[in-house]
Amino acid sequence: MKTRLVKLLSIGILLLWALQSNAQQRFTLSGYVKDQQNGESLIGISVSKAGTGLGTVTNEYGFYSLTLPAGDHDIQFSYIGYAPIKTHITLKGNQTLDIKLDKSSSQLNTVTVIGDKQEKAVNTLNTSINRLDIAQMKKMPTFMGEVDVLRSIQTLPGVQTVGEGASGFNVRGGAADENLILLDEAPVYNSTHMLGFFSVFNPDAVKSVNLIKGGFPAEFGGRTSSVLDIRMKDGNNQNMAVNGGISNVFSRLSIEAPIVKDQSSFIVAARRSYIDILMKPFLSGDMKDTKLNFYDITAKANFKMNKTNTLFVSGYLGRDVFGFGTDVNMNWGNKTATVRWNHVFNNRLFMNLTTFYSNYDYSLEFNNGSTKNEGDNYQAYNWTSNIINYGVKPGFTYYVNAKNSVHFGVQGIYYTFKPGKGISQDGANTNVKNLTQQHGLEGAVYLDHEWKPSKKFGVQYGLRLSEYQFLGNSTAYYYNDTTPGIRKTLIGSKTYGSNELIKAYHYLEPRINIRYGINDNNAVKASFARTTQYMHQLSNTASPTPLDIWTPSTNNVQPQVADQYTLGYAYDATNGKYEISAEVFYKNMNHQLDYIDNANLQLNQYIEADLLPSKSRSYGLEVMAKKEIGTTTGWISYTLSKSERKTEGINQNEWFLNRYDRTHNVNVVVTHEFTKRTSFSANWVYATGTPTTYADSRLEYQGWDIPYNSTDKRNTYRMPAFHRLDVSLTLKGKQLRRWKGEWVFSLYNVYARRNAYSIYFQQNEDDKNKREAIRLSIIGSVIPGITYNFKF
Amino acid sequence: MKKQFFRLSIFAALIAGFSSCTDVIDLDVPEGTSYPVLDAWITNEPGTQYIRFTKSVSYTQSGAAPIISNATITLYDETTGDVYPFIFADSVYKCDPSSGQIGHLNHTYRLRVEYDSNIYEATDTIKPVAAITKVDYKYKEKNTDGAQKDGYYVRFYATDMAGQTDYTWIRSYRNDMTKGNILEDNYVIDGGFSEGLSDGQEFPQFVGESVNDYEHPFLKGDLAIIKLRSLTYPSYFWVTSVQTQMQSGGLFATVLANVGTNVRNITDGGGKGKILGWFGTSAVSDTSITTN
Repeated sequence: MKTRLVKLLSIGILLLWALQSNAQQRFTLSGYVKDQQNGESLIGISVSKAGTGLGTVTNEYGFYSLTLPAGDHDIQFSYIGYAPIKTHITLKGNQTLDIKLDKSSSQLNTVTVIGDKQEKAVNTLNTSINRLDIAQMKKMPTFMGEVDVLRSIQTLPGVQTVGEGASGFNVRGGAADENLILLDEAPVYNSTHMLGFFSVFNPDAVKSVNLIKGGFPAEFGGRTSSVLDIRMKDGNNQNMAVNGGISNVFSRLSIEAPIVKDQSSFIVAARRSYIDILMKPFLSGDMKDTKLNFYDITAKANFKMNKTNTLFVSGYLGRDVFGFGTDVNMNWGNKTATVRWNHVFNNRLFMNLTTFYSNYDYSLEFNNGSTKNEGDNYQAYNWTSNIINYGVKPGFTYYVNAKNSVHFGVQGIYYTFKPGKGISQDGANTNVKNLTQQHGLEGAVYLDHEWKPSKKFGVQYGLRLSEYQFLGNSTAYYYNDTTPGIRKTLIGSKTYGSNELIKAYHYLEPRINIRYGINDNNAVKASFARTTQYMHQLSNTASPTPLDIWTPSTNNVQPQVADQYTLGYAYDATNGKYEISAEVFYKNMNHQLDYIDNANLQLNQYIEADLLPSKSRSYGLEVMAKKEIGTTTGWISYTLSKSERKTEGINQNEWFLNRYDRTHNVNVVVTHEFTKRTSFSANWVYATGTPTTYADSRLEYQGWDIPYNSTDKRNTYRMPAFHRLDVSLTLKGKQLRRWKGEWVFSLYNVYARRNAYSIYFQQNEDDKNKREAIRLSIIGSVIPGITYNFKF
Repeated sequence: MKKQFFRLSIFAALIAGFSSCTDVIDLDVPEGTSYPVLDAWITNEPGTQYIRFTKSVSYTQSGAAPIISNATITLYDETTGDVYPFIFADSVYKCDPSSGQIGHLNHTYRLRVEYDSNIYEATDTIKPVAAITKVDYKYKEKNTDGAQKDGYYVRFYATDMAGQTDYTWIRSYRNDMTKGNILEDNYVIDGGFSEGLSDGQEFPQFVGESVNDYEHPFLKGDLAIIKLRSLTYPSYFWVTSVQTQMQSGGLFATVLANVGTNVRNITDGGGKGKILGWFGTSAVSDTSITTN
C-alpha cells in the first residue's frame, strides 16, 4: 500500500511542477487536420514549429493542440504521402487553425520533409507501436486479390500466427486471445472470416491501423499482449465517392458522401463472398445446397455540430455461414456499434466519450428435415453461444503546454456470457439445456502524463487502476484442488442474485515510456507496462476456432497479468528515406489458462474443473528496416524470440514451448512502381516451424492403435519451417472522367509449398493395420487471384 | 459426434478452393519407452471373454504389438463374489464361463493383474444399455440424401432410457469383427450430445446413421454389424479421449495429449510399474443386417 501511495504522490508532484513551470506568456494553437480531397480527419500528422523540436501529432480524431510562446511562428504540418504545409502565425491569443492537407501530387512519395517528423519512431515516446495506413496496406500483395488488415500486420516484427487457417495471431509470445482488437473502439471477438483466411475488416472502410505490442499508454487495458486499434473512415464530406471491387472470391462496394458538405458525412461498405454460388455448377445432387459464404456491412456517419462538438456513429455486422443442404447449418459473427462524442472544452482540453456495444455469437444446427423417411419424427439439435458487452469510456487529453500533456479517463464494460444453450428436438418432444450465464463488470481509471522537457528527452508515465467484479445472476462452483492435471471434483455451488458480487479483483498497472534522443537521427527508448486481462478464450486446438467460447475471470479463474519490459532503438536517415528500429522485450505472464489432457470445453457446465492456471514467459529481439520514399518501398522485419509456459500437472511441471513459438521470423515486403500506372509487389515470409508433440508409440486397444507420447513431454518437436512467397501486379487504368479502375493480379504461395498446419497420426483409412504420420497443409498449391477495383 | 465437426472442417476447407491437402510423411521419432498395455473389456454377452495384454511399440512400426504371456489376470464380480481366472492361450487371456455369461447388469467388477512382481487393479460397473428396436437400410445414389457415394446406408433405431444419464458407445463392422473391418466408433449421451439434453428421446437419425462409413458405404451382400455398449462415465471419458487422439487432423483438432488409465499399481510397499490401457465393462445390445 505504501509503495502505491509513494507512486501516486510522486506523480502528483511531477504534474504540479509541470503545470507550474509556465511563467512566460503562452497561447494555444489548436484545430483539426483533414484531407483536402475527402475531408477525412488525419491521424498522426506532425504539427511542429519549424526548426525546433517543439511539436505534437494529431490525435485519433485529427485534433491537435500546441501551446507556444506569444509571437511569430512558422508552423509546419506534414505527413508522408501529403504535401507539407508551412504557415506563418502570430500568436497574440489562443487561436484555432484547421488545416487541409493535399495528397502529394506524385504517387512516388518523393516529397521529403527534413526534420520535425513528429510521427516518426525516432521522435515518438512510445516503444513497440506500429502504424499502418490503408494506403500502405493496399500496396502489399494480396490473398485472392483482397487487401487484408490482419495479413498486413502479420508482416510486422513480433507478430506471428500458427499458420494458414489460424483464426488468430500471436504478439510477442502471447496467446491469440490476449489481443484487444478494437473496431472504432468496440471489441471484436472473432477477427476473421472463413476460418482465418480473410479478416473481418473491409479495407474500403478502414482508415488506419495501430498495433501496440508493448509500452501501452495507460488508456489501454483489458488484454495483456497487444492492442490492435482499427479506425474506420469517417466518410467523404466533400463529394460522393463510390469504391468497389470484384474478385474471384467476393465483391465489395462502398458509398460515401457528405450529408452536409464540410459538416457531416457517411460511409456504408459491404462485402459478400460467393464461392458457394460459383461452385454450384460443379456440384450435383444435394451438394448443390452447400452454403459457404460470409458477408459484412460496415457503416459510419459523423456530424460536426459546431466548432467544439462532433458526433460519430458507427456499426459493423458480419457473418460466416456454412451449411450442407438444409440439414447442417453453422454460422457465427460479430456485431458492434459505437457512438462517440468529441468535445473541445477549450483549445487545450479535448474529450472523447465513447459508448459501445459488441456481440459475438455462433449457432450450430443438425436436423433430419430433408433426409427423414415419411412417418419419422422431425429431429433437430441446435446449439448457440454468445458474449455481449456494453461499454462507456470518457477520455480526456489536457494539452498543458508544448512540453506537457495529460491523458485521463474512466472506463467501464459490462459483460454477459452465455456459454451455451442446447436444444434437442424429437418430434413433439423438446429438451433444452442452458448453461449458467455469467456476468462481469470491468472498470478502470487512468492517468498519464507526457512530458518532453527537451528535444532530447521525453517520458510518458502513468497509472491504470483496474477493477473487475464477477457478478450474479449466476452460479459459482467450488472445486476440490486435487492433483494438478486431473479433472477437479465439485464440492459445492452457490447461486447469486442479480448483480450480487461473487468475486472481485483489482490491480494497479504502472506504465512508463522513456525516450532519449542521441541526435536528430538516433534515439533510444525504454518502457515498462503491466497489463491485466479478465476474460479468456478456451481453446485446446492448434489455434482458436470460431466455436471456442470465452469465459470471464471467476472465483476459479484468476485474471491474467503480464509485465513487459522493452528496450528500443530507432534510427531515421537524414533524408527521411530509411528508418530502422530494433527492440528487445521480456514478458512475464501469469494465470494464463491451460487444460487438462482431453478437457471437455464444449457445453460443459463444469468447464472450470478442466482448467489449469499456467505461467508464461517470452523474450526476443525485433528488427525492422523500412523505406517509405521512392519508387521502391517496403520493409524487412526480423524477429528472434522464445515463448514458453509452465503448468502444474503438464509436462512434468517443467517449462515447455508454447504452440505459437517461432524462433526466427522474417518478412520482406517490397513494392516497386515501374510507372505511375504499373506497380509490382512481393512478400516473402519465413518462420521456424511451430512446436508440436509427436507420438513415439501406440497402444493397441479394441482394434485401435492409439497414438501415445511415452515421454509425457509437450512440444518437444518442431514442424518443418514455414515459408511462402506472394506477388501481385497492379495495373491502373486511365482515368475516365471520375472513373478510376485498376486490375490486381496476385499469386499467393508462388512456389506452391505445402506448409504444415499440423502433423498427426492415424490408422490408414483402407488398411487399419497400417499407421501413418500425416501432414495437413491448409494451402497446398499456388492460389491465383484477380480483382478489379474501381472508384468514382 | 466430434467426427461430424472433423469432417465438416476438412470439407469446408476443401470446397473453399484453398486446396487443403494431406500427405503421408516420414517422421524421425526416437523409439519411446515401452509400457504394458491392458486391453480388457468385459461384457454381458454369453460365452468366452477375452483380454489382451501387449506392449506399446513405435507408432508406425508394422506388425502387431508384442504379446505379454506371463501375467496372472483375474476378474472378480464384486457384487456376487464370483472369481473368474483368465488363462493365457493363443496370444490372448480367456475365460470360458462354460454356461451363461460372465458379465451381469449392474454388477461391479474388479480386474487384478499380476505382472513383473507388481500388482495392478481396476474396477468398472455394467450399466444398462438401450435396446436396438429396429435396423434397416436404404440404397442411396451419390449426392442424394447426404450420401457421398452410391451404396447401402444402414440405420438402427433405439430410444434412450428415461431417467439416468446413459453413455453409449456405438460401434459398427462390415462382415466380421476383425480389426480391419471396424467401420465407425461414435459415442452418445442419452442418445445425443450432452448430459440432460435428450433424455428419453429416440436416438436422432444422424446417430442411427452414424454406423456408416460414408467414404465406403455397404455394398450388396455386405453384413452390417452394430453393437451398442453401455459405459460408465469414466469409461465414456476415456473412450472419447481416445477418439480425440485418433482424429487429430483438421482445423478444429486438438493437440496430441496422452490418454490416461484406470489401472492402478497397488503393490504392497508401492510398486514402480505402470500399465497403460483401460478396464471397461458394458452391457451390449446388438443387431446385424445383410444389405441386398
